[in-house]
Amino acid sequence: MNEHVKPVYLEEKLEEIRADGHQEYRSKSLPTWCPGCGYFSMAEGLTFALKRLGIEYKDVVTVSGIGCASRFPFFVNTYGFHTLHGRVLPVATGIKIGNEDLTVVAVGGDGDAFAIGGGHIPHAARRNVNLTYLVFDNGIYGLTKGQASPTSAVGFKTSSTPYENGDVPLNPLMMLLSYGASWVGQAYAGHQHHLADMITEAMAHRGFSFLRVLSPCVTFDKTNNTYANLNMAARGLPEDHDSSDLMAAMAEAAQADHPALGVYYKEDRPTLDEVMAATNRRAAGTDPA
Amino acid sequence: MMNKAGTDIQIAICGSAGDGTIASGDIMKRAAALMGFNVIAFDVYPPEIRGFGKCISRIRISSQQAYSLKQESDILVSLNDMHAIPHVGEVRDFGAVIYDDHLVSRVAEGGHISAHINPAQIPYGFSIRQISEQATNSARSRNIVILGYVAGLFNLPGEHFRKVIKSKFATKAQAVVDDNTKAFDAGLRAGRAVFKLDDVEVREPAEDANGAEVVMMTGNGAVVRGFMEAGIQSYFGYPITPATSIMERLAVEMPPVGGKFLQTEDEISAIAAAIGAGYTGSRAATATSGPGLALMAEMLGLGVMAEVPVVVVVSQRGGPSTGLPTKTEQSDLNLAVFGGSGDAQRIVLAPTNVEGCYRCAAMAFDIAETYQVPVILLIDLYLSNRYETVVPSSENAFAPKPRVPLKLVKGKPYERFALTENHISPRALPGEEGLMHTITGLEHNELGRPNDAIHMTMTIKRHEKLKNAINYEGLNVSKRFGDTGRVNVGILGWGSTFGEILEAMYEAQAEGISCSAMKVVMLSPLPVDALRAFFNDCDQILVPELNYEGQFANLVSGALGRPVTRLNRAIGTPMVVDEILAEVRRLYIQGPDTQDGARATGAGS
Amino acid sequence: MSTPIHNVIIGSGSAGFGAARTLRKSDDKCRITMITMDSLPFYHRYDLPQVFRGKQDWRDLLDVPPAYYDEMDIKLRRCSRVVDVEGAAQKITLAHQEAVGYDRLLVCAGGRGYIPENLTSYAGLMHGFGSFEAAMRVYRDLPAGGTAIMIGGDMVGIDLALTLLDTGYKVTLITNGQTFWPHEISQEEQARLLEVLAAKGVTIFKDSRPVGVSRDNAQHAASCVTLEDGTEVFGDVVMSFCGLASSVEFMLGADVDIERGLLVNPELRTSNETIWAAGDVCQIWHDQEKAYRFYHGWKNVRVMGELASRNMQGAHEIFDVDIEDTIGIGPDGQLRSTFWTH
Ligand SMILES: Cc1cc2nc3c(=O)[nH]c(=O)nc-3n(C[C@H](O)[C@H](O)[C@H](O)COP(=O)(O)OP(=O)(O)OC[C@H]3O[C@@H](n4cnc5c(N)ncnc54)[C@H](O)[C@@H]3O)c2cc1C
Ligand SMILES: Cc1ncc(C[n+]2csc(CCOP(=O)(O)OP(=O)(O)O)c2C)c(N)n1
Ligand code: SF4
Repeated sequence: MNEHVKPVYLEEKLEEIRADGHQEYRSKSLPTWCPGCGYFSMAEGLTFALKRLGIEYKDVVTVSGIGCASRFPFFVNTYGFHTLHGRVLPVATGIKIGNEDLTVVAVGGDGDAFAIGGGHIPHAARRNVNLTYLVFDNGIYGLTKGQASPTSAVGFKTSSTPYENGDVPLNPLMMLLSYGASWVGQAYAGHQHHLADMITEAMAHRGFSFLRVLSPCVTFDKTNNTYANLNMAARGLPEDHDSSDLMAAMAEAAQADHPALGVYYKEDRPTLDEVMAATNRRAAGTDPA
Repeated sequence: MMNKAGTDIQIAICGSAGDGTIASGDIMKRAAALMGFNVIAFDVYPPEIRGFGKCISRIRISSQQAYSLKQESDILVSLNDMHAIPHVGEVRDFGAVIYDDHLVSRVAEGGHISAHINPAQIPYGFSIRQISEQATNSARSRNIVILGYVAGLFNLPGEHFRKVIKSKFATKAQAVVDDNTKAFDAGLRAGRAVFKLDDVEVREPAEDANGAEVVMMTGNGAVVRGFMEAGIQSYFGYPITPATSIMERLAVEMPPVGGKFLQTEDEISAIAAAIGAGYTGSRAATATSGPGLALMAEMLGLGVMAEVPVVVVVSQRGGPSTGLPTKTEQSDLNLAVFGGSGDAQRIVLAPTNVEGCYRCAAMAFDIAETYQVPVILLIDLYLSNRYETVVPSSENAFAPKPRVPLKLVKGKPYERFALTENHISPRALPGEEGLMHTITGLEHNELGRPNDAIHMTMTIKRHEKLKNAINYEGLNVSKRFGDTGRVNVGILGWGSTFGEILEAMYEAQAEGISCSAMKVVMLSPLPVDALRAFFNDCDQILVPELNYEGQFANLVSGALGRPVTRLNRAIGTPMVVDEILAEVRRLYIQGPDTQDGARATGAGS
Repeated sequence: MSTPIHNVIIGSGSAGFGAARTLRKSDDKCRITMITMDSLPFYHRYDLPQVFRGKQDWRDLLDVPPAYYDEMDIKLRRCSRVVDVEGAAQKITLAHQEAVGYDRLLVCAGGRGYIPENLTSYAGLMHGFGSFEAAMRVYRDLPAGGTAIMIGGDMVGIDLALTLLDTGYKVTLITNGQTFWPHEISQEEQARLLEVLAAKGVTIFKDSRPVGVSRDNAQHAASCVTLEDGTEVFGDVVMSFCGLASSVEFMLGADVDIERGLLVNPELRTSNETIWAAGDVCQIWHDQEKAYRFYHGWKNVRVMGELASRNMQGAHEIFDVDIEDTIGIGPDGQLRSTFWTH
């Protein structure tokens, strides 16, 4: 996988996609991911969600950073903005502010999100920007060919940690919970249907929804986040998990070695659009209060 | 040149933070504007907010348009001798020095300002504090008492001051207005009782022919006014001196009219969000200073590559790094014009005065939208903070034009980056039916699909489309002043320095030197034809600017392949008119032969 | 290197200025500070009537241009009133609360126009003439052809009166026996000289005691002086010319002997080792008369200033100028004074 691979544009393949009924959500470019890459699941998952939610594709903007995962906007038939490494959230915030009628889906990898873009997450979360942020976490830098990422496991050998990674990985779910994200969930690329449901639920949420998708990089990670390992480790959240209980969500998120899939936490609170509108009413003196 | 018969005086009010110096200057300049004078004013604040730092408010009041502050003040008012003493020297001979002659505590010899007034200056001591205390039971209105005194001494109409005082304190309790009016009147009586010995004269302002609304504003205030008139819809900012007041003012003005205002977590997010909003068709802007612009460089490149309109105001301060946050400099030209990776030309506008700030800001959105590119408004601390009287446009000239919907050609995919004759491609906005596309910072083809092979073609497109901007209607991207035709010395300038350049040019003309000055407002793309014509007319070209490296000189002489003489000053304060004048004289006497692109005396030494 | 001697001069009149200039000429190292209440650099007070002859720009009155002080390295402290001199501490306090130390002090504070005691409460209704500003106020408030009322009639006033007559104004003089101060002349002589003035057009109320000054009177004149006998004298401005009273009040703590003026020996030194005095402010010991005497008039005064400054630097010169005190009528019919001339 490299940055300069020409997008594939095959008429026959397109016909095939049209035939399966999702055609309006798929663009004429076919995904350029490595065969077997977990990211294919997102194209399917998102198109499923949009269809389920009945959102017109002209009203959707998929925004991404830079990375394998961030190639995503090219592969869906929505408006798309492939931005800069790490800057997906501020651009997405601007888009939502620029036109709040748009449905904004932000997409990126774990390096894009938690390394270079880490500084933006707390602010998008606390402001409760009304968008969905899908982070495809493969614990590695895919696009730049296999360096360690902030979620790489200790002991992981990569091209930038040839003598094993010594840095303790981040816990993205605990981060987002403590940042005040109003919807936090986890899915797994290997569980397609559950992933599609989770994307749907995340997008249905009014406010900032964060979905971490555990996703194998089949090319640069043969030992850690493999389908085999993740199939073994992944579990469902306990039946009685109360998604309005922040502390319970924290406790589940803390068990990083046994990742639980599902909705950890959700909360209904004013979104940035609403807060701004209220501010503007106050400023204009038209606030009914 | 100033009309000698008219009024042209400069008042400097100097005090300590907390003395109300800046507020006093503010009332002074607003009252002068009300009287119908042209006003240019510049306040100097201490770098630290608390404590007893020095504040100076300098106000030039003239019947004819002036272009910069004067080197010498006609009147100095001291609210704090310790701070004012070093400035006594800036008062011209037979000018006035006004101070408190009833100190509350004893000072050693030389501790009082009267010890520093030279025999040709006129001392006016009066009991500022006592009068303030008698009028309002508080020493806090000293800053208003002195205004009354100045008005009394120079026979200025009191009603204008009272009006300004009333409007300035309108949000406070009536007692505040009353107290300040009392303080003013008490000062006025004291000032009227004094026998005037200086030769500073305030005559009737020139009759304003068109009677247009005249407003007093700072460069930053003018940017805000321009933005508001252009219907700015979203603003994203991160505080940084000297751009902060743009953000603070917009935070007040945008919400009531439904504008979206957000203070972001850093400058990267500010520009990113502005680009995001600009992408949706919203009129979006941000403002920062050099350090913030450095952080924005990568995003500006994205704006250029993805052809997204956005407006970025950059008010320069001393650099590099955190540098001199409260001092002025013109050293971010390179960053504004070239900053970022790749061949990333953007439009850079550098207005030269407050009026220019207003007009450029008001037009910037349309320019950005027309050429689908980031527009940088490059100003500096001196311009940001100095006050001038501006005549705003009366009609609603800058509001967005209604959007013409794009036509979908049946059977043809929509090409966001179509190659066209004028290199500008039809831009669809998200939400519009059937025109879905993805934009990217990767090199891309007409459809917006990543593509390397088309790089040269697209690079040409992105550069060529901007050339049209040189002829953007209503914008003087360059302008020549002074003698026409062949001249001995041409002074080329940009940004706030141009005021000093004009003053120097007019003085040189008065000395019989044949010279012209040309301002360049569009730094990118450069109006090379106009520049070449100017170079052809001038035996020698002098480029004064407030930086060490001669960034503008490099830009111009690189673009034209012609040598220039440089006058570089990195002193934190505005260019000195006399230094420009001295250079002009030197070049004039020396003649064109020895001029070899050599650095002028000051440069780099 | 020791710090240079600090010579401080209080007053920038003929005495003070002459002293400063002489000091600098003989010593180019010492510090010289001239402290004055005046707002202008030195000018000759006798030139003040010139404002009626077109010299309304003070720069035309200056004896030396302002730059002179810098050239001579004389620190000129204007608008600075001395309120206290501590002889023991060798320290001066200015009204604005600044302290100035000195090594040697020369007091040339001159005198102020004297207003008769019964009229002091009317001071606000009268014009002064001791400074450029005061003179200009008279000039402004006197309409063309208007009348100046003078109470007393000392030489300062007579000088002005002659100028006013010359320039088309009218003068009314209310005399009280003190006329022609500082000349000490007999009643007969005074009467003879007053006749000369009357012949020149001065309206004279002889030996009348004014008891009040008022504005807004029945005749709509700007000012009115009421005399003891009830007579009302109308005019545009009222001025008191009853001689000068020495300015010494700030010297009370200076540890010097004071009578009406500062008492000095013929070397012009006061009873304090480090303090000298010259000009209208001082009374000089007169060996023959065995009394302290004033010597007014700018010629005397300038000599005093120069002499005192030399003595401050160690000389022991004696002030023995004794210009004859006469005033009379010259062959041209003009008043002529032996020392009150310029
Ligand atoms: C209006 C006028 C006209 C005159 N015309 C003539 C004339 O035609 N011919 C003639 O021979 N003589 C004339 N005289 C008199 C003669 O000029 C005086 O004798 C002479 O001016 C005295 O000089 P002086 O330096 O002693 O004092 P002054 O000239 O009176 O100067 C006194 C100085 O002391 C300063 N001073 C006083 N008190 C203080 C203080 N507390 N602190 C600081 N500074 C102080 C004053 O500001 C002033 O600078 C005239 C005087 C006046 C006032
Ligand atoms: C400012 C900047 N620094 C570095 C890069 C190079 N770069 C591109 S993608 C990437 C990391 C990608 O990793 P991740 O975000 O985890 O996404 P993945 O490729 O794994 O989906 C890096 C370092 C860049 N494009 N921009
Ligand atoms: S993440 Fe790994 S597997 Fe997926 S496209 Fe990138 S390099 Fe290939």
